[in-house]
Amino acid sequence: MTGPIDPILVVLAYGAVAAGVSMAGALPLVGRESLPIRWLGWANALAGGMMIGAAYVLSVHADSTIDLGLGALAGILFIHWVHSRAGMAELELDQVDRGESVYAYQVLFMGALHAGWEGMAIGAAAAVELRFGIFMALALAVHNIPEGTILCAVLRAQGVTLPSAAVLAVAVNVPQVLFGVATYAVLVAAPVAVPTVVGFAVGALLDLMLVELLPQSYRQAGKVSIALVAAVAMGLVVLMEGIFS
Amino acid sequence: MVADWLIVGFYALLTALATGLGALPFLFVRSVSKRAVAYSNGIAAGLMLGACFGLIREGTAYGDWQTVVGAVLGIGFILVTERWLDTSQIGLHQVGAGRDGKTAKRMILIVVVMTVHSIAEGVAVGASFGGGMTLAAVITIAIFVHNVPEGVAISAVLRPEGVSVFRCALWSIFSSLPQPILAVPAFLFVEAVQPALPYSIGFAAGAMVFMVFMELLPEAFEDAPRAGIGLVTSVTLLAMVLFQRFL
Repeated sequence: MTGPIDPILVVLAYGAVAAGVSMAGALPLVGRESLPIRWLGWANALAGGMMIGAAYVLSVHADSTIDLGLGALAGILFIHWVHSRAGMAELELDQVDRGESVYAYQVLFMGALHAGWEGMAIGAAAAVELRFGIFMALALAVHNIPEGTILCAVLRAQGVTLPSAAVLAVAVNVPQVLFGVATYAVLVAAPVAVPTVVGFAVGALLDLMLVELLPQSYRQAGKVSIALVAAVAMGLVVLMEGIFS
Repeated sequence: MVADWLIVGFYALLTALATGLGALPFLFVRSVSKRAVAYSNGIAAGLMLGACFGLIREGTAYGDWQTVVGAVLGIGFILVTERWLDTSQIGLHQVGAGRDGKTAKRMILIVVVMTVHSIAEGVAVGASFGGGMTLAAVITIAIFVHNVPEGVAISAVLRPEGVSVFRCALWSIFSSLPQPILAVPAFLFVEAVQPALPYSIGFAAGAMVFMVFMELLPEAFEDAPRAGIGLVTSVTLLAMVLFQRFL
């Protein structure tokens, strides 16, 4: 039986690719117990720059300015609220010298939440145009690698084996797949909500990047190298989207 | 009958003067605590990143890779300027005694970056006037209004460091002077200027993004909670993006 593939399966497949690729974040740790601290800073900046690039390309695809604005404001405020309610607004997510196991659970929990909002961005992008959703999934897949590196470095410091850390890096990104599929399914049923949800994803990506990724990167590597990495990463996403579209 | 190029120059001068209005909100800012400075840097960062979003959108409409090439050159320009400021004492001394080198450098860089931004805008405005004088008033109003938050971004960095509101307005207007200066030749030689537009727009965007990530955000995160800076920067970025879309 042949026929076009159901778009929701396409969203599922590419979301799964994005989650699975995070396992590659373990590669820099092969044969090493830990990574130089500035590598973690650059990984944060790379992931952060790609997130702000993703937020930019999403914002360009929102047709309605008012809906984009309302959705983005809701996204920013919601993420701000989640951080404050979880009591982890100032939690450093990449400390490799903290030995408490509760810290590892906090990092995994925050990582899963973080991945969920990224999944929403994939689903919203796919609802705008499936091709754009595929691009967003691939861009976030690349972004997931440095995030996977950071997570593996933290888990290795807790005594977790590298293969287990790599599997956990993928597991943390399962919400990305679930949120992506659910967001797409809802928006296909209610297309009027597309610009607002795109806006929500834009706001969420911006606040996540500014609160969870960028601040500690400046501590870990010099601000000039962080600025370079973040700016180049942002530019790469913009360029990739232009080529892709 | 007034020559078209004089009208272009006059309109562009009006838009440059509008940047000075961005200093007005700071008539009401009294506090210069470290936390206030941090949040001011966050506001400036958000406004500048939002302006970048608009610049990138405009530049990529002319050409994707050309805009990226321009952005790379813009980043390089800021790197060179930053290194030069590190080794040169002339600029820092002129900014004023009593300020540490880091603060003085940040103040100079933001004026430099916004001036570079105005160069790109001046070329773009002049070239767009070439599309017909009947659109000139609409374009002028749009740029006039757009320049006000740019003045806010500059004043948000200068005012907390003790620069008077009047001087903030003057520096803001100074940073926009390239607009009338370049709009006229861009209008007169629009066909020659058109291919350079994505490069110049990308240059301004790259310089601005790099300045935000290198100076404004790290300074902001040093003296205020990152959740607060994240909130302020995200909201002002969003406000600038929406503002530009409405224009």
